[in-house]
Amino acid sequence: MPKPEEYSERKGELAGWAINIVTYRLGATYHTTIDNTDPGAWVVKAEAATKQDAEAKAMKEAQALLEKVKKSKPPTGCTSVPGF
Amino acid sequence: MAVQTSPATQQSAVLVSTDWVAQHLTDPAIRIVEVDVDTKAYGEGHVPNAVGWAWDTQLCDTVRRDIIPKAKFEQLMGQSGIDNTTTVILYGDNNNWFAAWALWQLKIYGHKDVRLMNGGRKKWIAESRELSTDTPKAATKSYQAKDPDYSIRAFLPDVQKASAERSAQLVDVRSPQEYSGEILAPPGLPETCQRGGHIPGAKSIPWGKACNEDGTFKSIEELRALYGGSGITGEKPVVAYCRIGERSSHTWFVLKYLLNYKNVRNYDGSWTEWGNLVAAPVEKP
Repeated sequence: MPKPEEYSERKGELAGWAINIVTYRLGATYHTTIDNTDPGAWVVKAEAATKQDAEAKAMKEAQALLEKVKKSKPPTGCTSVPGF
Repeated sequence: MAVQTSPATQQSAVLVSTDWVAQHLTDPAIRIVEVDVDTKAYGEGHVPNAVGWAWDTQLCDTVRRDIIPKAKFEQLMGQSGIDNTTTVILYGDNNNWFAAWALWQLKIYGHKDVRLMNGGRKKWIAESRELSTDTPKAATKSYQAKDPDYSIRAFLPDVQKASAERSAQLVDVRSPQEYSGEILAPPGLPETCQRGGHIPGAKSIPWGKACNEDGTFKSIEELRALYGGSGITGEKPVVAYCRIGERSSHTWFVLKYLLNYKNVRNYDGSWTEWGNLVAAPVEKP
């Protein structure tokens, strides 16, 4: 059975959100998860053959999604956006 | 003040370490179950011999908004190879959000021995432990659930009373931005509401403050200081809420089983109920 290797975790900021970037290798594939640190929900996941590619792919997708999250000024109503 | 037993004793009955799980992977008296926010995570690799439950289809009523009905719960447990004597070990992503949600429901239906794997999926992976993509073939067992125990669940009228009369302490475990109304839901989470803010009288204690960096729970002393610092000492009834009830299950677990507070309920209607309710009072800082 495979074991996850090369586990790494670091914090950063993207589109004004604090994020947490976790990457590990499982077999020949690198898996990256980006979550926003508070509340900690995952935002995107990505896979690639290298750590750099997996993280770059995840960062690109996370940036696009996080930029769409609007800050609410009620009574403007619901701020959910497609893709979320 | 309520009589309290030793938190350390309680903790051993409801929490297991990743080491312990690794040593019990094939123990026939134990069933390991993964429950994730990301329902695809189980398929990418899971603790060997663990079965996977999907919170959004298997741990709820899929017609009306409610917890899993009793008959479906019995079916899920039996098909997962769980009988009434099985020790169930739950774990998942996001520091056990939905694992705690599952534990709360198992307690509602009276399952005797259910525990969380401390640190959840994150810690298992960080420790470079084996991941399997095989789905275990569990022999179906017979399971009889008890009638639901709603003493650990708060419904809207309970919360309205708690807010209006301060008859129970409300703990809002969402992020500070949700509590303040700056955002209606965290990035990436679809369930939202029409108004932002919090239930009048609620204290803001984000769920994640109960966790260490590795996903494990903080020490009993740290937890007592965290909640006690906001006046949540267990002397009064407590109701925890979040957005849909999973993060508040996590806090409910901490207060009920790690700090051993006697009267703690999870309000699973949470902000997606209150924040959509016509004419409900909303407090904003």
